[in-house]
Amino acid sequence: MSDKPKSQTVLVVGGGIGGISAALEAAECGSEVVLIEKAPTLGGRVAALNRYFPKMCHPTCGLEINYQRIKKNPRIKVFTMAEVSGISGAAGDYTVTVTTTPRFVTPACTACGDCATAATSEVADPFNYNLSKVKAAYLPHSMAFPMRYIVDASVVGTPEGQAIKAACKVGAVDLDEKSDSFTLSVGAVVWATGWRPYDPNKLTMYRYDEIADVITNVEMERLASHDGPTHGKVLRPSNGEAPKKVALIQCAGSRDLNHLAYCSRICCLASMKHAAYVREQYPEAEVDIYYIDIRAHDKLEAFYRKAKADQGIRWIKSKPSRIEKGPNGEPVVCGENTLSRDVYANAYDLVVLATGMQASAQPPAGAEMDEYGFVVSEEGVFGAGVATGPLDVSMSVQSATAAALRAVQAVRS
Amino acid sequence: MTISPTPKRAYDLNFARYVYENIDGGERLRMCMQCGACSGSCPIGKQMDHGPRKLFMMIRAGMKEAVLTSNTIWNCVSCYNCVVRCPRKVPITYILHDLAYLAVQEGYEPAKKADNARFAKAFWWSAAKYGRTDERLVTGKYYFSFGIGEGIKRGLGNQAIALNMIKTKRMHLGMPHAIKAKDELQKILAKAAEIQERHGKGA
Repeated sequence: MSDKPKSQTVLVVGGGIGGISAALEAAECGSEVVLIEKAPTLGGRVAALNRYFPKMCHPTCGLEINYQRIKKNPRIKVFTMAEVSGISGAAGDYTVTVTTTPRFVTPACTACGDCATAATSEVADPFNYNLSKVKAAYLPHSMAFPMRYIVDASVVGTPEGQAIKAACKVGAVDLDEKSDSFTLSVGAVVWATGWRPYDPNKLTMYRYDEIADVITNVEMERLASHDGPTHGKVLRPSNGEAPKKVALIQCAGSRDLNHLAYCSRICCLASMKHAAYVREQYPEAEVDIYYIDIRAHDKLEAFYRKAKADQGIRWIKSKPSRIEKGPNGEPVVCGENTLSRDVYANAYDLVVLATGMQASAQPPAGAEMDEYGFVVSEEGVFGAGVATGPLDVSMSVQSATAAALRAVQAVRS
Repeated sequence: MTISPTPKRAYDLNFARYVYENIDGGERLRMCMQCGACSGSCPIGKQMDHGPRKLFMMIRAGMKEAVLTSNTIWNCVSCYNCVVRCPRKVPITYILHDLAYLAVQEGYEPAKKADNARFAKAFWWSAAKYGRTDERLVTGKYYFSFGIGEGIKRGLGNQAIALNMIKTKRMHLGMPHAIKAKDELQKILAKAAEIQERHGKGA
């Protein structure tokens, strides 16, 4: 850049672990930061995880520390339920249009929960990947930031909506809130728009929609979480019983030219973590991991070796070709064991598809993307975290810190 | 007749190279990552001695003799399950069929005995000669490829089916159906053979 940047503000788009990290690093370096998030709470996909590999600690712990840092830092402005709807200008001088979705609850909310008590209808809970339902006035999850309720749009204009409004002692329910938009002047943009799980319905051979006991890895995280649909017990969705035989299928969509051509990098370790969930809860349960190759790079090798030492985990080198429905509706995994050349058909109580990571949001026109939809950084616009390609949490934080550094340099030059 | 190079030592890559460059779909064979989705998808995978995945590894290992005498190349039923599921988009069915053709050209014993090869020859004979296939001619040609005695035995064995087919007008009596411009067809086929020759695939 030849001219001095007109705005020294850094805009961070996406409030997951990458966006939070980038916003904090930039703000703690002295830059003004605006952090916008589409969902009602920060935390993104990480908040929906039960535990991290390889240390098996809870993500809420790290998120809580970051939320404290945000609260204490006057340079960060956070907007939830907000999305970028337009961006123009050039490095050092961007004009960004942000559109907000009504939450129907003002910052006066004390998170007392009276509105949820007053609500009578239920809506699918997006935090639990729609595996459970939640009252139409709800807290996104127990570790939400901001700690503020949301009223579902479906009850606005109904007697139930009025009852919810009347129940709020501090008058924080505003059913007249409308979608709004405003513009920001920023010097640099960090895209931390994250990822979404690859749609398992596209993997028609695995019959996710037909067989109840075929679930995805992100759903497994919710089943294992204390605040998930089963309160932390891994149970078969079909009958609520404890599974005795569990299959974990790697590369469900990843490394496949018909689906995601790239390796999603996290699934091998995530599945080993899932094996650990099952083995911890049910010491008698058998877990089979179907894999093409195990990709546990550098420091993660130790976690792999630990899983390898567990006699209850069987490793089957094979990409299962299909899942069939057994006589009792149970999933039967079929394929060829490539080490023994056996053609197998193994029945399970629960099958977990390690679905891959797909780029989440489409950055607005102008942002450069690679052939898979991941952000390519350029002058003034930087990708952070999984918006740039599949990464695990620690690598996302590294990537976000690097993006923050570049953004800070861009607005100061 | 030897068309493809015969490996002379262990880890001789010449046969693999020949397959990559000359077999239909062979150029994508390099992409195979040995995941087993093909052999697992195959409806008759258990009957195959090796299955496509292992066969492809054998090609890479230069095991020409074992590849071209394998029953895998003859058991493919062209259902294309493996092709739609292959994560590397390897056209497995094409490769197996072209390897079978190579085995016929090189005169391997299993290829001479393979039912599908006999049937394919009978089918082609009728199609090339009349421009159409005639049930009686194709089955007759196929049955008698096993010898006169066996041909009569097989023919008589299927008498009841043949009579029922005639009754329900699924098979006609009289002259074989043929296209009008048979000589035009012959010219087309000659041209196709010439193109094939020019691409160095042998007759």
